[in-house]
Amino acid sequence: MKEISHHGPGLCVKFYDEFVYAGYGPYIEQYNYKSGELINRCRVFRKNKVHGISISSNGYILAYGARSAAVCSLSDISDNVSILQEERLLAEWITCGEFSADGNKVFLLTCYNKVIISDIIGTIIGVKTIKGERSILYSGSIKPFSDELVYISAGTVMGGVLVWNLYEESIVHNLKGHEGSIFYSTISDNGKYLASCSDDRSIRLWDLKTGAELTIGWGHTARIWNLKFFQDDRKIISVSEDCTCRVWDIIVDEDGKSVLLQQSNIYEVHQIKNVWGVDVNSDHMIAVTSGNDGRLKITDLIQTSRTGKETGSFSIQKIQDELDIPFEKGEIIKGFQWFSFGLIAVTSFGKILKYGDVNKKWTLELEDKRFSSFVIVSGISSKNIAIFMNNKADILLLRFDAVGNLQLSSDYNIKGLKKSTNCLVSIFDRKSIILLLESPNPRDRLIFLKIDNYNLDILQEFRFNRPDNFVTTCMEAFEDYILLGSRFSTIGIFNLKGSDVDPYLIRKLTPGDTITSVSFVEIEKKLPIFSVTNRDGYFNFITIDLKRSSCKRVHFSVLHSNKVSKGFLEGAYIDDKNQYITYGFKSSLFYMYNETNCYEIMSEPCGGAHRQWNLFPDGRGFVLVYIKASDLHYRKIREPRFPAVLKNGLHGREIRDISILKSQPYKNGYLFCTASEDTTVRLSHFDQDTGDITNYWLQRKHVSGLQRCKFINHHLMISCSAREELFLWDIDQDSSSRPYISTRATLPTSSDIPDLRIMDFDVKFLLNSDSFLLATVYSDSVIKVWSFDEATNKFALLIEGRYETCCLLNVKLESVAKQLYLITTPTDGHVVVYNITDYIPYELADNFQFLLENFNECKTLPLPNYITKFLVHQSGIKTFCTDSESLPRTIKIFTGGDDNAIAMNILKVDADSLGIISSSSSFIEDAASSTITSISLFDKNRKLMMTSVDQLVKVWDVTGDDLVPIDKRYTTIADTGSLDVVTLEDSSTLSLIGGVGISLWKLAF
Amino acid sequence: MGKSSKDKRDLYYRKAKEQGYRARSAFKLLQLNEQFHFLDDPNLKRVVDLCAAPGSWSQVLSRKLFTEDPDKENTKDKKIIAVDLQPMSPIDNVITLQADITHPKTLAKILELFGNEKADFVCSDGAPDVTGLHDLDEYVQQQLIMSALQLTTCILKTGGTFIAKIFRGRDIDLLYSQLGFLFKRVICAKPRSSRGTSLEAFIVCMDYSPPKNWFPELDVNKSVTEFFEGCMVTKDESSNDILPAWVEEDRVIAEFMSCGGLDSYDSDATYHIDDDLSSNIAKISLDPVQMPTNPPYKKALELKRSGKLTRAI
Repeated sequence: MKEISHHGPGLCVKFYDEFVYAGYGPYIEQYNYKSGELINRCRVFRKNKVHGISISSNGYILAYGARSAAVCSLSDISDNVSILQEERLLAEWITCGEFSADGNKVFLLTCYNKVIISDIIGTIIGVKTIKGERSILYSGSIKPFSDELVYISAGTVMGGVLVWNLYEESIVHNLKGHEGSIFYSTISDNGKYLASCSDDRSIRLWDLKTGAELTIGWGHTARIWNLKFFQDDRKIISVSEDCTCRVWDIIVDEDGKSVLLQQSNIYEVHQIKNVWGVDVNSDHMIAVTSGNDGRLKITDLIQTSRTGKETGSFSIQKIQDELDIPFEKGEIIKGFQWFSFGLIAVTSFGKILKYGDVNKKWTLELEDKRFSSFVIVSGISSKNIAIFMNNKADILLLRFDAVGNLQLSSDYNIKGLKKSTNCLVSIFDRKSIILLLESPNPRDRLIFLKIDNYNLDILQEFRFNRPDNFVTTCMEAFEDYILLGSRFSTIGIFNLKGSDVDPYLIRKLTPGDTITSVSFVEIEKKLPIFSVTNRDGYFNFITIDLKRSSCKRVHFSVLHSNKVSKGFLEGAYIDDKNQYITYGFKSSLFYMYNETNCYEIMSEPCGGAHRQWNLFPDGRGFVLVYIKASDLHYRKIREPRFPAVLKNGLHGREIRDISILKSQPYKNGYLFCTASEDTTVRLSHFDQDTGDITNYWLQRKHVSGLQRCKFINHHLMISCSAREELFLWDIDQDSSSRPYISTRATLPTSSDIPDLRIMDFDVKFLLNSDSFLLATVYSDSVIKVWSFDEATNKFALLIEGRYETCCLLNVKLESVAKQLYLITTPTDGHVVVYNITDYIPYELADNFQFLLENFNECKTLPLPNYITKFLVHQSGIKTFCTDSESLPRTIKIFTGGDDNAIAMNILKVDADSLGIISSSSSFIEDAASSTITSISLFDKNRKLMMTSVDQLVKVWDVTGDDLVPIDKRYTTIADTGSLDVVTLEDSSTLSLIGGVGISLWKLAF
Repeated sequence: MGKSSKDKRDLYYRKAKEQGYRARSAFKLLQLNEQFHFLDDPNLKRVVDLCAAPGSWSQVLSRKLFTEDPDKENTKDKKIIAVDLQPMSPIDNVITLQADITHPKTLAKILELFGNEKADFVCSDGAPDVTGLHDLDEYVQQQLIMSALQLTTCILKTGGTFIAKIFRGRDIDLLYSQLGFLFKRVICAKPRSSRGTSLEAFIVCMDYSPPKNWFPELDVNKSVTEFFEGCMVTKDESSNDILPAWVEEDRVIAEFMSCGGLDSYDSDATYHIDDDLSSNIAKISLDPVQMPTNPPYKKALELKRSGKLTRAI
């Protein structure tokens, strides 16, 4: 067994030269932070995780974590796969490690406030401590000011920070003010300050000389884990359980008497929950953070000023003063369009203004009183065309050259609209753009104008009937079709080449209301795929067969359905790295979010609900323009100068289940799903050689912590959780760009306010069909059996009953001798077997693997009594798997329990009575020293893999009468709770092991 | 989750409220006792409850040793001492000490209260705040047990019993191995009232028999490792001159025992109000017996509630 890759919590990060060194599980990973390239991954500890790193001025690196420490040269880390020979094991937990000022000594602070001083090769020089203080520390730091003066700041569990002088072994201060355990404390380089944070969620800044509390910083909404002074001790960065990192300015007033900690920025950097490590490179003003989600994130601390001034704000007064022309009383900016040369804006009195982005000057372009009071501004930035429309269907088109000189202007009045209140524009083809004019009167037709993008002539006009309840909100042109998004989650498709005067309609695409964007993504199997976003947060990828569609019926299918985590969704696009980027608002905050890898790209406070804003493409970036408190603001969003992430994470909390889509490989590896305590299901991919993980989607349909997820055939997957949630998902793998995943069906709940947990499920398919029989078991001891019909996408309840009152943990459907058995394992340690053959409207096919319909009446029957049950474990059976193939008329049942034991029971089906007799068993009572959480058969069911909470992975040979251990390895994945195994064509086996993180293993025996 | 839905989800929570226990953990001790009967021994006189707040274990001890003892004469020389850093509201027949279990003064006080006689039984249901760093949380829990054990070795009579809460994580076998030097029998027990989804279990250490020639002595300047020197085979023996190289440490798997019987309530199950098992439970929702204490982040919560922590930048 060999671990190929490891993804899990990153506990510490450090900048040095052009590299980031990250403590990642038992490894140190070295990245070039400019290119994002992984230089090397070096194993430094056998079992412990790297909690901290220190680098000396003379090129040595110290890693420490739990009771382990290791020192080696930086080149050892770059050049070797392991430096395990350097690992030392102390008697106590190491809270902090640091080199001396000259780099020749190592200080190790233990959790009992003792410092061991050694040289580089580990010879102990001395042990220092302070008398009478030995309560356990959660945190501490070492500050070597010089070879003679070293301060220790120790964070106690009682709210105090003990500052002591190492060599004098004397207390300098006992800083009191915090409540609860101190989670971090650190001293500034200049020796002026000490900063600390605790369970009370505050940051406190202390005067190191006097010990006085200078100021308190409130802001984090959960515990703060780490602090760091940067930029010559003028700023502090903090990271927290609340997934954010925050920058605090230390503001000293003029007379130097009062000091303030002012929060100057907040970055959402990791997923639920916990950011553990942080470092700042003050030269480049970038931060690196590491979190429980396994992500290594780079944050640009000067995002809005890195390449010059990238923001601007103008009050109407400022513009007026600069132009030196009189404005009317109450004249305001009514609309705007951004171009590569700058901004075109119109005022409420028809003044069309230009702001040059190069010369930073405002000029009056022209004045047209027709576009006073009501005016809508739109345009095509890439074609340098600005469009103005008033409510009398007057339109004005302006075309500029690349530097913003007006080249051409044309205006039209469009007949046939009583009033015009909406004007949308989109590129149509290489030579033309398409303009939509819409009236507030539902009886007025929708008018499309095809306009030459050079001479601004109207080439063609199209008029369509307006459907009921249709209010256009967005537009996309594709080939000869126009797609309009509307309120009521409706899409209208307008065929410009056809003869229909009515559009084709897709109604009620999602539970939300307003569609905010429809955009073409790619062609799959000759059909276009569109991304559709809804303001209420829903987004879909749909494929439409436009040629086969008509006003009567639209041939479309939903490939992907999902919802953003919070806030309003205004639009989305696929970027050049094949990542899905969404944008919108979280209350007053505009955000852009990388949905594929789940991190915020930028955010900007934009004011309240009636905001006026637009996001314009600009070169390889964007410009956000908005009006807040009647001032005009713009912010350029540039491509990041540094890679946003060095390593992508998976889940921020425990992975409860893993399922690999084994039926076919996908891009040199396999697709897999993970179900997490964080209430999400992820669809990802692993590369079978490198173990690299690619994230595709994070599904947010569950609202409670997941129990199980499992692929049930080559494209269907089921996940279940608390609140009686069980969803059937459909995975589409036809696109070469990415797989898609959509919810196909939802299992009915037993009440309107469900509070039961669905603990497990199993299925049996009908022959050659996507219809199946589903068994579900619940936390109130209920067992249900359902049929799923592929045509209607509906579940029908066939059997319902209750075992006793204890929680049921697992269920399997097994067929032997033309009988179908339901086997379940409750928390009472029994294996319980039901024969449900006569209770379902199906019979077993000859190979027992599938069901056949027997057309019996489909109604709900009570669960029959179990035919047998037998005690295997002392308490809950956490995991089990069955095998009925190898021997006729027998079922092998493998179980793993909370009682540290695993067992194999062979059940025999009596030929006459069809009853079940337990024929033999093997029981290993000390298979692990802790709960056995997952077992899985592999190698044609000849071997069994097992994981347990004590972080052991064991493999057993199960071919004989007894379980025989073959191999045992330690995994660095904590709370080890799930596994899945896939056998490759070369008959080698890969296994994913999940817990807090995930690792890929290769097995060969 | 509302009050009533928690009642439904967790029967032990509800039962604790009904029976006047301050926390549902009372049932864990009761179920441990069902298996091991340590509290049913008529000779049990002096017991110590460490990390006792809010006091549900002390309540069980009080009921078992005093209320349920028919021989009132016998209760005269019984004594229960509950120790915690936090203040505790009084419990009948229990002497509460607000003190640090690692401090020699606490030891002296307990021995004084016991009239210089040793305890028959020591228990600890203490657990530190969980950070989410599994290795650290488990380590701190083990250190808490070791601290409790230090005091225990100074006050427990030979042959006495020690029980403590553990988390069955990656180094639990290391702890079992260490406890094996002090007790003749070490069992890992999981009461049915402890959730199956939790790593929580209890070590039941019976028949205290410290190594001859080892005399425990509490000293504020001694670390846990130093305290147990000469008692346990610890890794630190090599030398005081160099940082010790990594070695595989002795690990032992303790015997596992499920407690509480299969007919007791299942803490992982969802019960219905009309279930036969719970028919004796009134359908009205009860108020918690002990209101939650002041958390250290109280001020942060107040600021959040008043909208002072909303994101403006």
